[in-house]
Amino acid sequence: MSASAVSTPRRATGAPSKERAPRNPRTIISRSVVGLLLALYAAISLYPFAWMVSAAFKDNEEVLEGGHLIPRNPTLQTFSDTWSQLHFFDYFRNSLQVTLLTTVLVVVVYAAASYAFAVLRFPGRTALYRLFLVLLFVPGVVTLLPIVLLEHELNILGTHWGLVLPFVNGTAPLAVLLLTNAFSTVPSELRESARMDGAGELRVFASIYLPLARPALITIALLTAIPTWNEYQLTRVSLNDPDSYTLPIALQAMQSESVVQYNTLMAAALILVVPIVLLFLSAQRYFVNGLMGAVKG
Amino acid sequence: MSVNVTPTPRLTSRPDGTSGKNRKVKPPSSPAARRSRRKEALWGFAFIAPAVILFAVMGLYTVGYGFLLSFAQWNGFWPDWNWVGFDNYADLLWRSPVYSPIVHDAAWNTLWVMIAVPVLTVAIAFPLAVVLNSVKRLSGVLRSIYFLPYVTTGIAVYFAWQYILEPNGALNLLLKSVGLGSLSQPQGFLGNPDTALPTLIIVMVWSAVPVAMLLFLTGLQTMDSSLLEAAQLDGAGWWRTQFSVVWPLLRPITAVIVLLNLRDSLQGFQIFLIMTNGGPGNATNVLGLETYRLAFLNELAPTLGLASALGWILFVVALIVAFVNQRAMRRLG
Repeated sequence: MSASAVSTPRRATGAPSKERAPRNPRTIISRSVVGLLLALYAAISLYPFAWMVSAAFKDNEEVLEGGHLIPRNPTLQTFSDTWSQLHFFDYFRNSLQVTLLTTVLVVVVYAAASYAFAVLRFPGRTALYRLFLVLLFVPGVVTLLPIVLLEHELNILGTHWGLVLPFVNGTAPLAVLLLTNAFSTVPSELRESARMDGAGELRVFASIYLPLARPALITIALLTAIPTWNEYQLTRVSLNDPDSYTLPIALQAMQSESVVQYNTLMAAALILVVPIVLLFLSAQRYFVNGLMGAVKG
Repeated sequence: MSVNVTPTPRLTSRPDGTSGKNRKVKPPSSPAARRSRRKEALWGFAFIAPAVILFAVMGLYTVGYGFLLSFAQWNGFWPDWNWVGFDNYADLLWRSPVYSPIVHDAAWNTLWVMIAVPVLTVAIAFPLAVVLNSVKRLSGVLRSIYFLPYVTTGIAVYFAWQYILEPNGALNLLLKSVGLGSLSQPQGFLGNPDTALPTLIIVMVWSAVPVAMLLFLTGLQTMDSSLLEAAQLDGAGWWRTQFSVVWPLLRPITAVIVLLNLRDSLQGFQIFLIMTNGGPGNATNVLGLETYRLAFLNELAPTLGLASALGWILFVVALIVAFVNQRAMRRLG
C-alpha cells in the first residue's frame, strides 16, 4: 500500500516505464510473499468450486473413487441428464422468475421510497425512515412463521408471489439505507433548477436522480438478486408442488431422495451457481463503486 | 403542514402566513410556497406508499403477530390459541426440562460462532485487503475470485463443502498426501462432534471474508494518502504504519463488519440447517436453527408459541449486541 502510494508521483515525473524502485533483495522477497499470500487465498476461495466442477464431469463410477481433481474420462452426460431429465430447466425458469420479479420490485419500490426520504419533505419522514432501518435487526426467523400463516390465509402460500413479496420487504432496510444515501449526495440545486424549468416531481426523479444513482441502483439489484437466487429457508417451507420448485429446493429434494450421487448433485449445484456468478462478473464494476458510495455516505 | 384550510383567511390574520403549527418550517412562507410544500408532502406520500403498504403487511403485521404468538400455545391447527403469558419464555430459559437444556446448548454454540466468525473474518479480511491494495497487476481478477464465496453462498456451495468434508472426501486425502494424516477425520469433518462446529465456523468465515475484504478495500482506497506519507516521513516502517495509522483509521469500517457478522452469526442458521441439521447429536445446534425446528419441524406439537418466543429473545439479544458493539467501538476510538 504505502510503497505504491508513495512511488506513484515520483514515477509520474520521471521516465514512465524504465525507472522503477531499485530492486534490492528485500523488495523481491516481500513481493513474492505478497504474491504467495494472494495466490493462496485465491486457491482457498476457489477450492469448493474446483471440486464441484470436477465431480460434475465425472461419470457414476469415477465419482465414487474420489481422490483426484482432474476427471480421467470427462463426460458431459451427467450435466445434460441433470438439465433435461431431472427437469432442471424448469427449476431454472422458476428461479429466474422469482429472482427477476423480486429484483425489479425492490429497485422500483425502494428507489421511489428512498427518493422521498432523501429529497422530499413530508410529515413523519424521519420516523418512517428509522422504522425501516430497525427492521434490519429483526431476525428473519421471527417473521418466517407469521408470513407462512398469513400467506395461507391470503391463499398465496406456495405461489411464486408468496415468495417475492416477503423477499422484497426483507430487502427494505438495506435498499432504503443504500439508496437514500445515494440520492442525498445529489446536489439539490439540480432538482431546484429543474423544478424552475417546470419539470414535475416524477420527471426530476426519473431523469435526474435515477441516472445519477446508477451505481447504487445496480448494487442494490445485485444485493437483492444474489440472496434471492440462493434463498432456501422460506422457500423450503412455502413450496409444496415440485412444479414450482426453485433451484435450491430442487437441489435439496435431489439429495434427500436417494443415495447421494455426487456427480449429479454437483452438476445441479453448478447449474445453480453459474448464472449468478456470470451476473456478478458482468455488473461487478458498478457494484464496487456502489458499495464505496454507500460506505462514504 | 397538515390538511390546511384555504389560505386566504389565514393570510388576513397573519401577514407572514405562518400558522402556529407551521412554526417549525422556516419563513418566508407565502401561500404559493405553502401550496408547493403541501404538494411536495403529497408527492412524498405517493413515493413511499408502496414501500409502506408492503412493510405494514409483511413487516409490522408479521412482527406483531409473532410477538402475540410468543405468549400463547398453538400447533397451527387448533382453532384457538391457548394464552400462557410468559410461560414460553420461562420454559425456554430455565423451566422446561425438555427445552431449556437444548436452548442452553444451542446458546453456547451460538456464542462460539458469534465470537469466532467476526474475529476470524476481520483477522483474514484486513491483511488480505491491505495486500490486495498494494498490487496493481491482476487486482481486478483477484478481487472477483475472492468475491465468489459471497456470490454463491447457499445450498450449492454447502453441498460442495459436504462433498469435500466427507470421510473419503478431498480434504482428508489432501491432509494425508501432505503428511498430515493424523489430522484427517475418518468419520468426516462433519461426522465428528468435536470437529463439526469448528468446521462450520470456518466455512462461515470463508463466506464472510469477501464482503469484509471489499469494505476494508474501499476504506483503504478512500484513505487520505497524506497521512500515510506523513507517517513514513516520521520514520514509521511498513508494519508500524499499518498498525498505528491504517488500522485505527479503518475502525469505523471494522465496527460495521463486526456488527454485520455478529448479526449473521446470531440469526443465521441456513448453513446449519443444510450441512448438519444441528448434528451430530446437538453438537451444531444454534438458536436460529432451534427456532426454525420449533416452528416448522415439530409436526403437530404445540411449539409455535415457543418458536416465536425464542425468535423474540434473538431479536432482543441482537439489539443489545448492536448497542454494545457501537459503544465499545466508540470507546476504543
